[in-house]
Order: sequence, then C-alpha cells, then structure tokens
Amino acid sequence: MDPWLLITIVLGFAMAWAIGANDAANSMSTAVGAKAITPKQAVVIAGLLEFTGAYFFGKSVTETIRKGILNPTMITDPNVLIYGSMAALLAATLWLVIATKFGLPVSTTHSIIGGIVGYGIVYAGTAIVNWGKMGQVVLSWILSPIIGAFMAFLVFKAMTRSIFETKDPVRNARIWSPFWIGLAFVVIGTMFYIKVLHGGDLKTGVMMYGLPAGVVTFIVTYLLIRLRFRSADPLINVESIFKKAQLVTSSYVALAHGSNDVANAIGPVAAVYAVATMGLSGMQVPVPRWILAMGGLGITIGVATYGYKVMETVGKKITELTNTRGFTIQFSAATVVLVSSWLGLPISTTHVVVGAVIGVGLARGVKAINKDIVRDIIISWFVTVPVAALISAAIFKILMLVG
Amino acid sequence: MQVWTKLFAKSPFKPLIKHSEVVLNTVETLERALQAWERGDYEEMKRLAVEVDRLEDVADRIKEEIRDSLSSKLMMAVAREDVLIYLHMQDKVADAAEDTAKWLLVKKPGTIPAEIKEIIIQMGAESIKAAKLVHKAIVQMDRVIESGFSENEIKAEYEIIHEIEGVESKIDGLDTKLMQKVFEMADEMSWGDGICILNVARTLSNISDKAKDAAERIRLMMNK
Repeated sequence: MDPWLLITIVLGFAMAWAIGANDAANSMSTAVGAKAITPKQAVVIAGLLEFTGAYFFGKSVTETIRKGILNPTMITDPNVLIYGSMAALLAATLWLVIATKFGLPVSTTHSIIGGIVGYGIVYAGTAIVNWGKMGQVVLSWILSPIIGAFMAFLVFKAMTRSIFETKDPVRNARIWSPFWIGLAFVVIGTMFYIKVLHGGDLKTGVMMYGLPAGVVTFIVTYLLIRLRFRSADPLINVESIFKKAQLVTSSYVALAHGSNDVANAIGPVAAVYAVATMGLSGMQVPVPRWILAMGGLGITIGVATYGYKVMETVGKKITELTNTRGFTIQFSAATVVLVSSWLGLPISTTHVVVGAVIGVGLARGVKAINKDIVRDIIISWFVTVPVAALISAAIFKILMLVG
Repeated sequence: MQVWTKLFAKSPFKPLIKHSEVVLNTVETLERALQAWERGDYEEMKRLAVEVDRLEDVADRIKEEIRDSLSSKLMMAVAREDVLIYLHMQDKVADAAEDTAKWLLVKKPGTIPAEIKEIIIQMGAESIKAAKLVHKAIVQMDRVIESGFSENEIKAEYEIIHEIEGVESKIDGLDTKLMQKVFEMADEMSWGDGICILNVARTLSNISDKAKDAAERIRLMMNK
C-alpha cells in the first residue's frame, strides 16, 4: 500500500477518534444531564449507533474537498491533494483535541473546513477559496445558535402552555405529551430520510418517513400513557413520560451524527485514496466500505475512551436539567437542523444545541446559566476555522518542503 | 473540565431552601424558649435562647455562601437582585428571632401578669406560622420555575404570600394589644420587666415583618 495512504488512514482514524470524543459526548450530554440515560447507556448507544450510522449510512461517495470550499480545478498536482489532506486532518484533529481538553463544543465540520482552507491558501493564495461558501460558514456561527435559541424558546413555551399551565395538567399531559413526542418523531423520521439515507426531497421525507413515524409514535405513546399514567403530581409524571422519549431521541442523534459526520474524517482519506489508486483528484470519489468502517470504529473508540469520561462528569454534575427541558433542547435542535438543511443553510448541530440551551434559559426554564461559559463557547466557534487553518497551513508548508 | 457541567450553573434555589430550613429551625427553637419562659423554667429558656443564637450563626454562614456563589455572570430565571434581597429578608427573620432570644437573656423575668404572657405566647405561635410559610413559599418558588412559570403554580404561590400577609397583620394586632396591656398593667410590673416585655414583643413582630418582606420579594421574582 502507498505509504502516504497509510499515514492518511492513520490520521483519518485519529480525526474520527476526536469526533467521537468531542461531538458524540456533546450531542448526548443533555440526555445524560437530564438523567434520561446513564453515562454507561449513553456510551453503548452512541458507540453502537455511531458505528451503524457511519458504516451503513455514511455517504459512500464523498466530496474530496469538503463542501466545495476549494476550487478543485486549481489543484493540478496530486501531491498537493495528498499533503493538503494530511495537513487538514492533522490540524482539525489537533484543534479538536485541544477544544475537547478545554471542554469546548466546537464544530468538527468547521474544523476540517478550516484545515482545508489553510492548505488551500498556502498553495494557491486566497483566490482558490470559494468565499461565498466561506461566508455561509461564518453566517452559520451567528445563525445556528440564534435560531436554536429562538426555536427552543418557542417549543418550551408551547410545551408548558399546553401541559403545565392548564387547569388540569394531568389530563392535558395525556394528550399533549404524545403530541409533542409524535411531533418529534415527524422530525426524526424526516431527518432519517435526509441525513441518514441522504435523500434530497423534503416532501418525500415528510410524507414517507416523518408523518408515518409521528402518527405511529403518537398512537403508541397515547396508549402507553393511558395504561400507565397514575401519579397525581403532574410535574413528576410528565417528566417520566419525556424521560422515555429522550432515550429514543438520543439514539437518533447518535445515528444521524455517525452517518453524517463520519465524512469529516474520511473525506480527506478518500481524496488521498483516489489519488493513490487512480492517480486522479476528481471532485467525487467512491469510498470503499472498509474506510467507512474505519471511520465508524474511530468514532466509537473515541466515545468509549474519552466520551465516556465526559458523559460521566455531565451525568454527575448537571442537576438543573429536567426531562422536559432535555427533550425540548433535543427536539428543537433536530427541527432546526432539518429545516436548515432543507433551506440549504449551513448549520452546525453543536451550535444549535448550545443555542437551544440558552433559549430554554431565556424562557425561564433553566434556573441558572453561566454567562462566562457562553462567551467562551462563542469565542471558540469564531476561532475554530482560523486556528485550524493556521495549523494546517504550517503543516502543509513543512510537508511540501520535506516531501 | 466539561463545558456542559459549567454551562449549567448551580441554581441558588436549593441553598435558599436549605437556608429557610435553618431559619425555621431558629424560630421553632425560640418558640420553645418562650414556652419555657412562660412555665418559669429559666434554665431551659436560657439553654434554648443560646441555641437560637447558634442557629442564627449557621443561617448567616449559609447566607454568605449563597451570596458568594451568586455572581453577576449568571443568567437566571429570576432577577439576581430579587434573590439577594429575598435572602437578606429571609435571614432577617432569623435575626429577629435572635434579638428576641437576647431580650429573654438580658433580664431574669420578675412577675409578669399571665394575661401578658399569654399574648407573647400567641405571638410566638404566629411567628412560627410566618417562618413555616416562608419556607413553603421558597419551596413553591422552586416548583414555579420547574413548571416553567405555570399559572397554577404561580397561583399557589400567591396564596402562600397572602397567608403570610395575614399572619403579619394578626401579629401586628397582638403587638398593639400587648402594648396597651403593658401600660394598663404598668403598676403590676417593674419598669425593667415592662421594657423587656415590650422589646420581646417588638422583636417578635419583627419576625413576621421580615417574613412579609421576603414574601414581597418572591412576588417580584414571579414578575421579572
């Protein structure tokens, strides 16, 4: 095997590990924090479903230059693609490891974009970068959390208004809990079509997957609650209903994440693979399944080795999150990500989740949020692309000199 | 360190409930001291009055801890100022109980007419009610937030606040009655006993005054 390909595979594996350590833990932390799942369960769910998502539903065709950030016609030397991909992977991995160390939820997609932009600029100057695309990425830093906060605010208000604020919360919980959980499944079903099966048409997704999933869930939940809804305290009872719903939403988050984000780790690997085996650097390359499997494995190991630690601390330390709030955050985040991918807006799940947490806080749902940490998180988002780009640029320069 | 654990800051409500438990305990101990005083069991009264003083110290320490943790860097479901002023008022309830205990301690009681003693005991019983209601109010405030400020929970909270106001006006009435009695029966007591009893009454009515102020703050928390 080509030694460069071997090194890139190792780097891709490292990147997948970092994705597992950083992202998977972040996307499941609200469920763990709300005590809907234990840290151990979270690791098992995330491990299994991230791998399933990555291996079975990961895109078997991967764009060599992530999301068309660089102009591919300007890269004629295949070596540039090899060194560049390595530099981008290494830079993104390093940044993710640093961010994870400090507990900052940064976007893995933005990290790899930063890495790609970094080597692109060193190689061919700023003209190679598709600045329109870059503008969208920057816009997403601002839009994702704001829309996430807005959505979570509305969902939380609507949930409390339909259940807690009524004359008879217990009775209303019987009808409205299945409704909200059903609605969440409309989103999940549609998302499954778009994110996991990589379908393109929103209407097909809603009609074929979303609505049937939602209706079935509504009926099942409604009947289950009829059978086992006894306690007189609406607060405790509603929480127990949403606790079970969160188990499913968390599983979904892991599956979608695996199928979608594995591309961040194996995209560059696929590019090098194409050069090594076919000697060309086309836009679209078929990815052999074993590379997907390797990505999935990397993410799973990341979850098991580092993510576990994160989820354990989250489970022990967050006591301020109830199940309805955890559900609100996950449901809102999923909805926002779905609508944005339909509108073509670049949006990061991690950013939306943070926004949603703040939205529930603004709706006076979370008792206290640390403003300083919010500031740190936002700063970390703004530096992700530049930092990854700088590291990548430096590594690329060195590789070009040595190689 | 993980960001999710730091993002959700510790809410002040559980510590506030803990503080109100200590405050309630202080007032309850004071009532037992008053009962010992009525029986004429001076030794037991002294022991309990000292215990009131100790409990007030405990409340103070919890108060300081809450203040230290409530930085302006928090985004809370209620206004930070309201929480701080509420805490101050809740702590004043314990302070007033301590003041009463001090007046009990400064002077060995002489002969105090049973009629006056009876009013004092009544005031003590009402003070307990006020302190209990404050505890109930802060526990309910926690529920108000848990339910996302639901109308029902807010209504239940308003009922508690009204009850506190009721207790306060009842104690005010007793206080006035006591003052009149003391001057009516001025000849039956030494001037020292008179001053002491008037101050016990004043500090006792302070307990419910501060409880009312605390309730007032909870009202403001709901209207952020």
